[in-house]
Amino acid sequence: QAIDDDCNQTGQLLAAMLDWPQGTFASRVQLEAGAVLVEREVDGGLETLRLRLPAVLTADLRLNEPRYATLPNIMKAKKKPLEVIPAAELGVPAGPPRLKVLQVQEPPPRAGGEKVESVESLLGKLRHAGRI
Amino acid sequence: STGLTEDQKEFQKVALDFAAKEMAPYMAEWDEKEIFPVETMRKAAQLGFGGIYVKPDVGGSGLSRLDTSIIFEALSTGCTSTTAYMSIHNMCVWMIDTFGNEEQRRRFCPSLCSMEKFASYCLTEPGSGSDAASLLTSAQRKGDSYVLNGSKAFISGGGDTDVYVVMCRTGGPGPKGISCLVLEKGMPGLSFGKKEKKVGWNSQPTRAVIFEDCVVPVGNRLGAEGQGFNIAMQGLNGGRINIASCSLGAAHASVLLAQGHLTVRKQFGEPLANNQYLQFRLAEMATRLVAARLMVRNAARALQEGREDAAVLCSMAKLFATDECFGICNQALQMHGGYGYLKDYAVQQFVRDIRVHQILEGTNEVMRMLVARNLLQG
Repeated sequence: QAIDDDCNQTGQLLAAMLDWPQGTFASRVQLEAGAVLVEREVDGGLETLRLRLPAVLTADLRLNEPRYATLPNIMKAKKKPLEVIPAAELGVPAGPPRLKVLQVQEPPPRAGGEKVESVESLLGKLRHAGRI
Repeated sequence: STGLTEDQKEFQKVALDFAAKEMAPYMAEWDEKEIFPVETMRKAAQLGFGGIYVKPDVGGSGLSRLDTSIIFEALSTGCTSTTAYMSIHNMCVWMIDTFGNEEQRRRFCPSLCSMEKFASYCLTEPGSGSDAASLLTSAQRKGDSYVLNGSKAFISGGGDTDVYVVMCRTGGPGPKGISCLVLEKGMPGLSFGKKEKKVGWNSQPTRAVIFEDCVVPVGNRLGAEGQGFNIAMQGLNGGRINIASCSLGAAHASVLLAQGHLTVRKQFGEPLANNQYLQFRLAEMATRLVAARLMVRNAARALQEGREDAAVLCSMAKLFATDECFGICNQALQMHGGYGYLKDYAVQQFVRDIRVHQILEGTNEVMRMLVARNLLQG
């Protein structure tokens, strides 16, 4: 889930196209012979999967601490060659965009809540609203 | 960070990150327990901070004086005392790199750049501080060696460091009789005094260094006999910019602390920041900080370009920045009220740590002397 558009799709799409297993939101990765043990951050807590290799992994911010750049590396970065490859050379069409924005809207303003007298009353209300 | 190149902004970012994560959380403990943070400094050396303006062929980062000033200013926001020691270490490595022959450079510089070994600069003696050229430590030539007798005072890192760059007298009186020798801990006849108890700079030990018939090979002499004072002074030009940069970092951190406190602390029903007096005070502090920074960076540029006025500009910058920044830190402490006096609050440590910057590497009085001499002779 990249912070630009929050789509949470790229890793998954890649895995589907390659027909490889996927371990997304990885917060810990351990290699075994021919497989990888991936601990994932999911809504309910942590889930551990064993995926056969090759696999697609996407990283959660808890996976590791970024290194500090060293002074010599910062200076070398400037000198690294920057190869520009036009999309056409790779056989990838550069446009038109395949996503069309249909609509952008704000979420509805927060409606007021309701206080109830008892647990039974709460359960009744939830059932009535189709929530349980 | 205005006026910096892309690269310089990157260096500054790494240094600020390192200062915030690896130094700031520990600066109070290092001060209280008088810990010399060897592991942290070695981590800094791995990033290239051990020999910032030393040539890359012996392990240095080959950066400019301005780059160095930016880096030390940034590191100083994390712990001024430790950064100041690192700047002294850097100065010593540069002296060996610049005035040493190939064999000496290869023997000493790599392990110093990585901070596998640490260095100390030994000029001051009990009898000669401002009048440095009157130093008495004698180095008598005997065959292939010099025999040293005498002592040095107030040596930063003394006793804990491995390499000592020592200015001593091989010839007649005055500056032209002074040579520069590199000594190593463990040499017979080299011993240390008691660890001094200081008001600040407590994350670096300060001791006297004592020479009693200490035998040093001639191959450890940097440059020619009689060149030592010149080497020492050239080292100090850069050293002064570095110390001034450390003051800038402390002042910068203090201004941020004051700004934070003024917005949070309330008296008479409103945040302190609503008071015009404090607003104006804060504005003055920031203005002086920027002025001091420009003096220091200008001097750094002059030094790296080899300009004729470099030494004078370095003296002016050291004088101006260390004085102004102490005032800024002190005012920041005042703005904290009673809390500013408690060791739980960092501002007092910045005040204590930079107080000595107005004294060492040439007192601010000596800085005036150098500038006056330049004005009245030229």
